[in-house]
Amino acid sequence: MGKLHLNTLTGNRQTFFVAANLSAFFKSPMNWQTTDRMQNMTNILKKIFFIDFIKGLSLTLGYEVSKSVTMRYPDEEKWLPYQRFRGLHTLNRDAQGRELCVACELCAKTCPTKCITVVPMEDDTGIGISDRIAKVYEINLVRCMFCGLCEDACPTTAIRMGRDYELACFSLDCAAADKKRLLAPAHPFPFQEGIQKSPLLGGDKGVGQEFEGGYVVGARLERNKQGISIKPDLTRKKRWW
Amino acid sequence: MPDINTLIEVALIIVKVIVVSLILFTLPIPLTWIERKVAGHIQVRLGPFRVGPHGILQPVADMIKLMFKEDIAPDKADKWLFKFAPLFAMVPAFAVYAAIPFGDKITIPIINKEVTLYISDMNVGILYILAVGGISVYGIILGGWASNSKYALLGGIRSSAQMISYEIALTFSCIGVVMTSNSLSLLDIVKLQSGTILGFIPHWNIICQPIGFAIFFIAALAEINRIPFDLPEDEGSLAAGYHVEYSAMKFSFFMLTEYLAMVTASVLTVILFFGGWNAPLFMPEIPIFWFVAKVGFFIYLFMWIRFTLPRYRYDQLMTIGWKILLPLSLLNILLTGLFLL
Amino acid sequence: MEKLFFLIFAVIAIVSAIGVVSLRNPVHSAISLMVCFLQVAALFILLRSPFLAAVQVFIYVGAVVVLFLFAVMVLDLGKERFGGYLHHQRPIALVVVIGFVFVMGFTILHGSLDAPLGNYTEEALVKNTEIMGKLLFTKYVFPFEVVSFLLLIALIGAIVLAMKEKR
Ligand code: SF4
Ligand code: SF4
Repeated sequence: MGKLHLNTLTGNRQTFFVAANLSAFFKSPMNWQTTDRMQNMTNILKKIFFIDFIKGLSLTLGYEVSKSVTMRYPDEEKWLPYQRFRGLHTLNRDAQGRELCVACELCAKTCPTKCITVVPMEDDTGIGISDRIAKVYEINLVRCMFCGLCEDACPTTAIRMGRDYELACFSLDCAAADKKRLLAPAHPFPFQEGIQKSPLLGGDKGVGQEFEGGYVVGARLERNKQGISIKPDLTRKKRWW
Repeated sequence: MPDINTLIEVALIIVKVIVVSLILFTLPIPLTWIERKVAGHIQVRLGPFRVGPHGILQPVADMIKLMFKEDIAPDKADKWLFKFAPLFAMVPAFAVYAAIPFGDKITIPIINKEVTLYISDMNVGILYILAVGGISVYGIILGGWASNSKYALLGGIRSSAQMISYEIALTFSCIGVVMTSNSLSLLDIVKLQSGTILGFIPHWNIICQPIGFAIFFIAALAEINRIPFDLPEDEGSLAAGYHVEYSAMKFSFFMLTEYLAMVTASVLTVILFFGGWNAPLFMPEIPIFWFVAKVGFFIYLFMWIRFTLPRYRYDQLMTIGWKILLPLSLLNILLTGLFLL
Repeated sequence: MEKLFFLIFAVIAIVSAIGVVSLRNPVHSAISLMVCFLQVAALFILLRSPFLAAVQVFIYVGAVVVLFLFAVMVLDLGKERFGGYLHHQRPIALVVVIGFVFVMGFTILHGSLDAPLGNYTEEALVKNTEIMGKLLFTKYVFPFEVVSFLLLIALIGAIVLAMKEKR
């Protein structure tokens, strides 16, 4: 009796959920295992007391009181990538401060997006390691996809991918990185054995190659006439996870 | 010439109206911030953080943005209705508060005058609130229709169907409360909830009307278009539903309405089922404090649910409304009647 | 004071009622219908019957007109579709309306419209809802049941019609 009534109510949809369970409950009570009955009872109780709903709410409450993983970039923190990171390129110097690039144009040839322009010139004043240096060396950063093939192709390890990733700017001028911008500055870092340690995070950020990276470090957003820059503070560093 | 006392009464009512509407106008400002913070923290983010300490000035920044944004009306929109729809939505949201009591009486210390903490105690209070609250849907429907856009129209249609379906369940769940307290006046309903049963259970309607409360709460969620029933503005399938074509201040009116509706729903839940301003067990009675605390909890609960549950499908929404809530609410009335007999 | 309010509400009610039949756009008509209902609700309040007013707003404004709007939006009734349904009814309608106006004017002018005062004073009417409830379930229980039965039949009829369409 109850079976018939409830079945007409539920129709063929799964939706009238309490009644659906009830109808299952009343269906053929002959060959019923106790576990089935228990299952159904608990299901009905769950629906009545909104157990799943409360479970969901407690889960979200747990997240609400847990610590957030947000990095407060750029006001307070900033991610400093690992050394293997492929950011803005640098053109390096050797231990004597001479430019390593011999303008062989291998990087330009191998570049998949053809975004490097190299114009060689003769020079015997000792700027470079040989008598050939790059007159123009320009990377179009809009087209570069930071694949690192130029780095692999270079016979003199002149071009290396750095760790600067803050490349956004307000006009297209900064989209083309010229030699001046890419070349490691001559002096701020003491010359060491082999290749000079270049400021891998770009000219003025003051993070040397020896900094291993992979940290969230303190940071400060600075606005001035030159624009916006983010100054990292290496003394406050932590792994972010 | 009316005597001085009636004049004072009239002045008092005017002051109350102004105070209440000012509070209501400013209330969404902190609420948006709180909602975004709650959203952020539930999703293990921080929420707004850049404008002011902990992003507390974010709503102010938003407000400035909304004020100075260009007010665009679609070319083929019904210009008049498009302009008036936000008002249609907003005015009822405010008008509801004419009948909502925030507390009983307090005595202002210095002038020693008793002031009632409600604008008016209507003897059909709850009916009035449900009726006027129901008018709010016009803003949504007309806004959706007048925009002359498919998404907005769909939002409006959904909204009208949803409102009608859930208003019935909402009203029926209130009838249980009305039956137990034998009055339509919210003041009486709250007064009857003071005291305790058996000395330790608060005599709140939630104890005698648990089914009623569940139905009321679910139906209220649907009435105020909150997740999981926010189909009129379903971002997933309707972009933003009925207000997709609105911008600037008109848009902010819709937002204001939405937040006010949330506050109203919380206030009604507290008044009808959680004893209004009656203090919980063995706590001292402080005039407005408990009321605000309870309402605040429910507002938080609405936000909490929003970031916990997914949205229902449209057919699910309709089946829940007609096949579950409606029969259950009828059953509730029947049970209450039997109990009272 | 009361008269002033009455005039305001009455005038708006009549204007919006005219709007219902004269506006071209069905959605606009529905809105003026809503305005009309709201004014009638206000008139109920002036008649010391807040319960009726609330119910009027609740049922008519909150549900019936919303349904109208819903239907109008879904069915997409264009202006041009209305012309076809009139079928030379105009002369008949005109005659009926003139007759109606004539009868109305006659009764109003002869002042036979005011009903006798009931036995409820203004103080008693504060408990308006209770009085109404009691009367409905005691004195008028039979008409009340008949009306609800009628509504039930209409409800079932609607369901049956909808079912038929589905098949
Ligand atoms: S990183 Fe790749 S794309 Fe960019 S310049 Fe080097 S080779 Fe070209
Ligand atoms: S950077 Fe290396 S590969 Fe490119 S031109 Fe200079 S030396 Fe050749």
